[in-house]
Amino acid sequence: MYEFLTNLIGNEVLAWIIIAALPLFVVILPYALVAIWLERKVSAHMQDRLGPMITGWHGWLQSFADVLKLLQKEDLVPAEADKKLFNIAPALVFTASYAAFAVIPFSSGFIGSGAEIGIFFILAVSSFAVAGILMGGWASNNKYSLIGAMRAVAQIISYEIPTALVVLSMVMITGTLSLEKISAMQTGYFWNWFIFGGPEWGLTKFLLIPFMLVGFLILYMSTLAEVNRTPFDIPEAESELVGGYHTEYSGMKFAMFFLAEYANMFAVSAIVSIIFFGGYQSPVGYLGDLFGVSWLIPFEQLFWFVAKGLFFVFVQMWLRWTLPRLRVDQLMNLCWKYLIPYSIANLIIIGLISLI
Amino acid sequence: MNLYDLIFYLFAAVTLLSAAVVVSSKNIIYSAFSLVLTFFGVAGLYILLGADFIGVVQILVYVGGIMILLLFGVMLTNKITSVDIRTGTVNVLPSAIAIGVFMGLVTSIMIWTKWVSLPTETPLTTTNELGKLLITEYVLIFELLAILLLVALIGAASIARRDKE
Amino acid sequence: MSGLKQYFKDSWEGIWTVLVGMKITFKHLFVPNVTIQYPSVRVPMPERVRNRLYVNMDDCIGCDQCSRACPVSCISIDTVKSLPSEDLGVTSNGKKKALWVTKFDIDFAKCCYCQLCVFPCPTECIYMTDVYEFSEYERGKLLYNFSTLTPEQAAEKKANLEKFNAEKEALKAAAAAEAAAKPKIEKPQDKTE
Ligand code: SF4
Ligand code: SF4
Repeated sequence: MYEFLTNLIGNEVLAWIIIAALPLFVVILPYALVAIWLERKVSAHMQDRLGPMITGWHGWLQSFADVLKLLQKEDLVPAEADKKLFNIAPALVFTASYAAFAVIPFSSGFIGSGAEIGIFFILAVSSFAVAGILMGGWASNNKYSLIGAMRAVAQIISYEIPTALVVLSMVMITGTLSLEKISAMQTGYFWNWFIFGGPEWGLTKFLLIPFMLVGFLILYMSTLAEVNRTPFDIPEAESELVGGYHTEYSGMKFAMFFLAEYANMFAVSAIVSIIFFGGYQSPVGYLGDLFGVSWLIPFEQLFWFVAKGLFFVFVQMWLRWTLPRLRVDQLMNLCWKYLIPYSIANLIIIGLISLI
Repeated sequence: MNLYDLIFYLFAAVTLLSAAVVVSSKNIIYSAFSLVLTFFGVAGLYILLGADFIGVVQILVYVGGIMILLLFGVMLTNKITSVDIRTGTVNVLPSAIAIGVFMGLVTSIMIWTKWVSLPTETPLTTTNELGKLLITEYVLIFELLAILLLVALIGAASIARRDKE
Repeated sequence: MSGLKQYFKDSWEGIWTVLVGMKITFKHLFVPNVTIQYPSVRVPMPERVRNRLYVNMDDCIGCDQCSRACPVSCISIDTVKSLPSEDLGVTSNGKKKALWVTKFDIDFAKCCYCQLCVFPCPTECIYMTDVYEFSEYERGKLLYNFSTLTPEQAAEKKANLEKFNAEKEALKAAAAAEAAAKPKIEKPQDKTE
């Protein structure tokens, strides 16, 4: 991809810039529009409603209409807010969630940065989002924003631990941090995915399956908490905190927070699907292999990757419209008393099994 | 000037400018947030040097952990209780002398060291090597650090417990 | 040991109950919607809904009873007596109309749709309709004029009455002057008017 662009444009700096901007325009923005529409439709149908129906077929243009509306809105900055930080915060939050896409392999033909450090990088840049949230909450000079920001930070930092532990156990099996290599390992059919014990046949594969399941559940729950989605949405709990850390934001700045939330949803879904569900690998083989057209394969992989990612995003929405919000103490209880002990035990057991 | 030079200067500028803001800003919140940027710049420099693991750890530990703790502390003391904490400049002369001496020392070391320049090649990942070194050669230090952290954790828990009574 | 058992039981229960909940919401994904698409589909209104009022001015005799019954005084009525020469017709239930209703305004911004104005009406000409979509951008537009007379006609009626009254006064004055000159004669004559 990079070589191709360098040859095409003849300038490596420009090629890098294009590569860097590509996920934003090809993936995140269209995805966010679709996801926002999907969220409304899923929530509506789960509550026996219809949701938006006017703009376009079943209201699919509603998100575009909303974007236009947000663009027109007045850009308010509260008089008592800290203006500089108030303006920087949304950009910082969005940058953090956007940076995570740098190392996500969308297909074997479009990997972004195949950095060795991969998954670890994602864990690290998510801490910039924490700084951004704290910045926005504090700069708004509003008690709801500040409480929301504090909660968000406490939550994200706590839930980073089980995430990291599960990722660690997966790193022990795969022996690499690179998301690209992890996806490449699970090639072939779906029984090579790590949720089914990984590509190597033998006793270990079958021993691993239950612990992989536990690992998947823990990872899914803790990443759900890291992106502040219901049932872990106490930082933006509408019924108690107005809107949490983005209470004071309006117009495009609010849109950036919103975009960051949806981008994050996809990012964590992508991580879950890469680690446990084969990433861009097809579960049933490729049409390209069947007909002998090899250029088709990367596109099929992109399709599978997006499909898996969207499926997990859908499950996130499904959970959101199923479960009530946790209380702060229940949230911390779940993390420290359940997820962390389980993930440590899981880590040790997986380590022992991989020694066999 | 190739791409790497460009990125190097970018990160260097980020680091230096934000560090300047850290020491010169009158508002302690600004200082704290620019420290985040400083760590980010340093992490970028590490990665450019081929130390990708260190770079990411720098972000994870400093930005994700220590800075957040610091910001929490500052924010909880700054606006909420509306006590305006502002940094002032004291002891200009002694610190100027100390910094001058230190700068001189560093510069002289930089000049007099015989630098060996390696042929540039795409740096390999350091993660595997680091891991191996940590549990073979430096295992004692590693374990000691682990015990230190454990002690700190237990201490924190016990302090939190006592407060509750 | 039982603590540990409870711990695992709790964990399992947590996951299981979430799955049960998810099953329920998933089923609802395929339940047909119970809502309607409002502006294009409407719920039929029940028979005796109380929404916007309507006044059938053909039947209104201008008796002012509705206005007096209204708890928020949102009906304002002005009437002018008709001249003996004018015939205003009768209402549909046979009452003879004797007043020009020069003003019949209902302010729906104030109206609380209590229907109290409907019951006293002797001719049943003020009643509730099922129109409920009459929001406006300006509050002034909620002031509805029901009077069938244009302002000019109203002014004309008023002028007519004044003229008639003035003439009558003049006649009266003349009669009084006559009576002063020749007292105790023709008293019942006045009453006929
Ligand atoms: S419905 Fe009630 S408030 Fe409205 S005009 Fe009649 S009496 Fe007045
Ligand atoms: S009570 Fe009926 S007849 Fe009398 S003024 Fe009101 S609407 Fe007219």
